[in-house]
Amino acid sequence: MFQKTVGFKIFFWVFLIMIGFFAFFPQLWMISTSLKPESEMFAFSFFSYFDLSNIVRVLSDSTFLTYLRNGFVVAIASSLFSTVISVFAGYSFSKFRYRGRKSVMALIMVSQAFPQGLLLLSLYPMMQKIGMLDKLPSIVLAYVALTLPVGTWTLKAYFDQVPVSIMEAARVDGSSEWRTMFQIIIPLAIPGMMTIAIYSFVWAWNDLLYALTLISSTANRTLASGMVFTFTGEGGNDWIGMMAASVVASIPVAAMFVFLQRYFIAGLTAGAVKG
Amino acid sequence: MNRSSRNHALMGWILILPALTVFVLMILYPFVNSILISFTDRNLIYANAQFVGLENYRKIFSDINTLKLIWTTCKFVFFSTLGPFFIGLIWALLMNQKFKGSEFLRGVALVNWIIPGIAIGFLWSWIFNGDYGILNALLVKLGLLDHNVIWLGGKSTSMLAVVTARTWQMFPWYMAFIMGGLQGVSAQQCEASRIDGANNFQMFIHVVVPAIKPVLTLILILGAIGNLQHFDLINVMTGGGPERATSTFATEVYKKAFKEYSLGRSAALGVVWALLLSVFSGFYLKRIQED
Repeated sequence: MFQKTVGFKIFFWVFLIMIGFFAFFPQLWMISTSLKPESEMFAFSFFSYFDLSNIVRVLSDSTFLTYLRNGFVVAIASSLFSTVISVFAGYSFSKFRYRGRKSVMALIMVSQAFPQGLLLLSLYPMMQKIGMLDKLPSIVLAYVALTLPVGTWTLKAYFDQVPVSIMEAARVDGSSEWRTMFQIIIPLAIPGMMTIAIYSFVWAWNDLLYALTLISSTANRTLASGMVFTFTGEGGNDWIGMMAASVVASIPVAAMFVFLQRYFIAGLTAGAVKG
Repeated sequence: MNRSSRNHALMGWILILPALTVFVLMILYPFVNSILISFTDRNLIYANAQFVGLENYRKIFSDINTLKLIWTTCKFVFFSTLGPFFIGLIWALLMNQKFKGSEFLRGVALVNWIIPGIAIGFLWSWIFNGDYGILNALLVKLGLLDHNVIWLGGKSTSMLAVVTARTWQMFPWYMAFIMGGLQGVSAQQCEASRIDGANNFQMFIHVVVPAIKPVLTLILILGAIGNLQHFDLINVMTGGGPERATSTFATEVYKKAFKEYSLGRSAALGVVWALLLSVFSGFYLKRIQED
């Protein structure tokens, strides 16, 4: 795109180094700190140690393991439900014409701008009333709802690319609408479904606000909110422990992302750009 | 209406039903109900609530802290949107050069965005730590500071700290969208403007920016909505302090409801927050309908 003039080369290298340092040094600092022995916590050494005992210490803590397990349960459940519901809704929005369709679509889209904190003020008493406070399904349900707008719109964008003629050909062949959907159309949207599955997983894994409020007992906490409780007060100065826990909490989403990056970026940006 | 088109519409509704149920139950009802709560003196712990009319709103608008809250929120949204936007834009232009390793660098940068906010909050609290943080150590060593700065404890520096962390988290997100937009820039047009004698900068301003303008507008709107909602980093790094210096609607509504238990006051504040957000969602709707 650009001509490689001297000016461009200077621009390129200056920003590559500056932004590169800003982006990557903190990542490395987190990892480096987590690998230090406790006695070296305040030394400014950079990758001089490779001490896995902090990671082991975090992973052998039974409370942390409970958080970790709950985190996975909630993230996987949210991911599954969110994807299935979004596929149906996205297909409906894309290929069906009925009264009220456009209003429902707009409403779901706009709801992204409803303040999550405001919703919580009603969700808390509601969950309390139906006895779901401090139960994992309460936050799963919340995450499914909160990931729904991006989910439906991204999958709608996928279905929009499927020509109606495919559906018509299937109809002519005598396939019912439901069979056409499950056997022909949905398989075509698998990349889009992967995108939403990852998106919802990451949302549920990372969320703090809902996990912090709707869950109140140690046994039911997810990882992100659990870490808040582990490292406040007394634990607030255990920087090595905090970095070790942060590394452990980051690995599942980072690894998933590295392997599935292609689906993710293309899918999400396509959904948002095309609307 | 014939039978098959009725069946068609029915199937459309059946497919949307699960999503609609979750949506109504978990988003629409709570939204409306929270607005109603804002007209009561409802408490998080005691169930009985009285209708108090506009009392909560009167209190909010006679409180000097509310003005400060709006101002702090705007500051946070402004800097945390434009900071990562420009860094993301430059990084996208660099990565778009497709040099050896560019794909790797793009992927690793995106890790910032994907990892939990709690991890990012811990990391930057550690970097900004006043006594033992690496930032102070580096700046003192380079001679830029002669003493340690208590970044998270200072009224002006705490905002800088959370905005920096948020910028670090979000710039790869802007980059991803901008890189998508750059793919649609026509090489021929770039070539043509070069033949007309434009230099790199002129070509960027007159060819590239107009071509990616829809994406740029979209991410600025979505980015601002995201920042107006943002809770994690502020809550972890400063909790809104010191002395409300980083207190935004997201942290204040949470605090009022779940630390001070006054749901009514918190809801009224939340409604003001929603109005602020509706400005941006208005832009967003308009932008979608233009397509």
